[in-house]
Amino acid sequence: MKTNRILPAIFLYGSLGLILLFTCIPIYLMVKIAFADPGAFMNDQAFEFTFEHLKAVFLSGNLWPALRKSFTVACATAFLSTLIAAPGAYVLAKIPGRTGYFFLMAIFFTRMFPEVGIALPISLNVARLGLFDTDAGLVLAHLIRVLPLVAWVLIGTFKSLPKDIEEAGRMDGCSKAQVLWRIVLPVARPGIMVGLIFGFLNSWDEFIYAAYLSLMNKTLPLTVFYYVNRGGWFLSSMYALIVTIPVLFFTYFFQRYLQSGYLSGAVKG
Amino acid sequence: MKTAKTISFIKKHYFEISLALPLFLYLVLFTYAPVMQVIAMSFDKSGSRPGFVFGFHHYHLIFGHFQFAKAFFNTVFIAVCGLFLELALGLYVAVQLNKRIKFRGMIRSLYILPLGIPTIVAAANMRYIFDTNGFLNSLLMKLNMITLPVDWGGGGFVTLFAVVVADMWKVTPLVMLVLLAGLQNIPEDVYEAARMDGAGPWQTFRHITLPLLKPSITMAVVIRGIDSFRIFELPLVLAGKAEPVLGTFVYAEYHEALNPYTSAAASVILLLLILFCVAAYLSLTGTKDVSYP
Repeated sequence: MKTNRILPAIFLYGSLGLILLFTCIPIYLMVKIAFADPGAFMNDQAFEFTFEHLKAVFLSGNLWPALRKSFTVACATAFLSTLIAAPGAYVLAKIPGRTGYFFLMAIFFTRMFPEVGIALPISLNVARLGLFDTDAGLVLAHLIRVLPLVAWVLIGTFKSLPKDIEEAGRMDGCSKAQVLWRIVLPVARPGIMVGLIFGFLNSWDEFIYAAYLSLMNKTLPLTVFYYVNRGGWFLSSMYALIVTIPVLFFTYFFQRYLQSGYLSGAVKG
Repeated sequence: MKTAKTISFIKKHYFEISLALPLFLYLVLFTYAPVMQVIAMSFDKSGSRPGFVFGFHHYHLIFGHFQFAKAFFNTVFIAVCGLFLELALGLYVAVQLNKRIKFRGMIRSLYILPLGIPTIVAAANMRYIFDTNGFLNSLLMKLNMITLPVDWGGGGFVTLFAVVVADMWKVTPLVMLVLLAGLQNIPEDVYEAARMDGAGPWQTFRHITLPLLKPSITMAVVIRGIDSFRIFELPLVLAGKAEPVLGTFVYAEYHEALNPYTSAAASVILLLLILFCVAAYLSLTGTKDVSYP
């Protein structure tokens, strides 16, 4: 009687344990390599902790320009995408029936376009505007990827708000703009925060547009790729760790708020 | 008559229109227009010379390219295999986490860790595993399962396997979350009714859980399917030139062969592949609308 219960439990926790091991090993390896003493690591000896690679990365002069560019572009993209998408999402959330569905699909459809395909004409056009290899050019490109995602999340937010508060506001003599500014936006603030965070994250780890639009001024993900390609494990893992930390931070501390965004597919693989 | 109607509509809703206009202008100018531009480029026989001459020249070039068929096959293989395995594994974990098991919160938090890892970092981490002197080879050597290190990046099935594993690692947590949310929406009394009628665990799963979960599965398949055809960073780092996918093929045509026109043609093929697969999936499963969360 008892073995009937124990065997499935062993199987359950065993399988979940294996899956978790598979999940954690790559991250563990990254952190370990980033702080591993090269001599001991290469000769398969016991792990020895060192700040050598961290120091090398901080002193190399490749970190700060890339960090500055990634951070500036991500902040600008987050801010602009929310500024443009929030009013649009507010209106879209109110359009009923087939028309509303048509506009939703117009946004959803942009996800089907391969980014390598859009990046090609965008890089030609951005070069024509004289913005190649600049922060502004990259923000312009990142908005292409980020706007639909943020709009998608915010439409969900605005749809979930109760309709009565707007009607009550109109009854009390507010104009449409006042209703939006004084009533809807304050209530929607958590959703807008989520939009900002998604905007930041999706710009921060973006690779394709950055690869098409950068030459000398690399972003952090491009720097990671450069070091991975060069073959040095220690530096590439340290850079990888530096890109990862803010993303992990946001994902963990705002997990509850970000959930809805993840569920609507606002995260790209 | 019609213009009068339009004008009165605009007058009535000018506030809403002006709110939504920036978003749609941006989408039209910076997303839809570039896509049209790429399609036009792919059919422009004149190339970099001024003027537009319609022709299939660039398509002829890529169909004759020695790596194009391989890239096409690899894209489909990685998307189909990856999606199937991700759904199976994601569903397994979601079903377990939907039960009241011990350490549920901790397992869930640990399991969704890869969501917080940028894709290029995931690719780098997988490189430490699938390198010739990487973690997996040294593990297999220690276990005496191989005597010579496996060349994971050298091409062939092992390289595709590495890419699929990397993609699974990064994406299964997302699939799991979508399915878990779907499972949590199934009311408890449905299961109770099934138990009363004497259904076993497998029957319950097959005839109750799966059908009720269909909207979530469709959603996961469509969203993940699109992204897995567009897979780029993982094969770029893990497979390089040995096993290209359409994404890396498009990239190499522009950045290495320096031919924007064949690059455009290849990305149009990728777009058609995605549209075809989404349409085929939706019509096969009989889904009318992509459900909105």
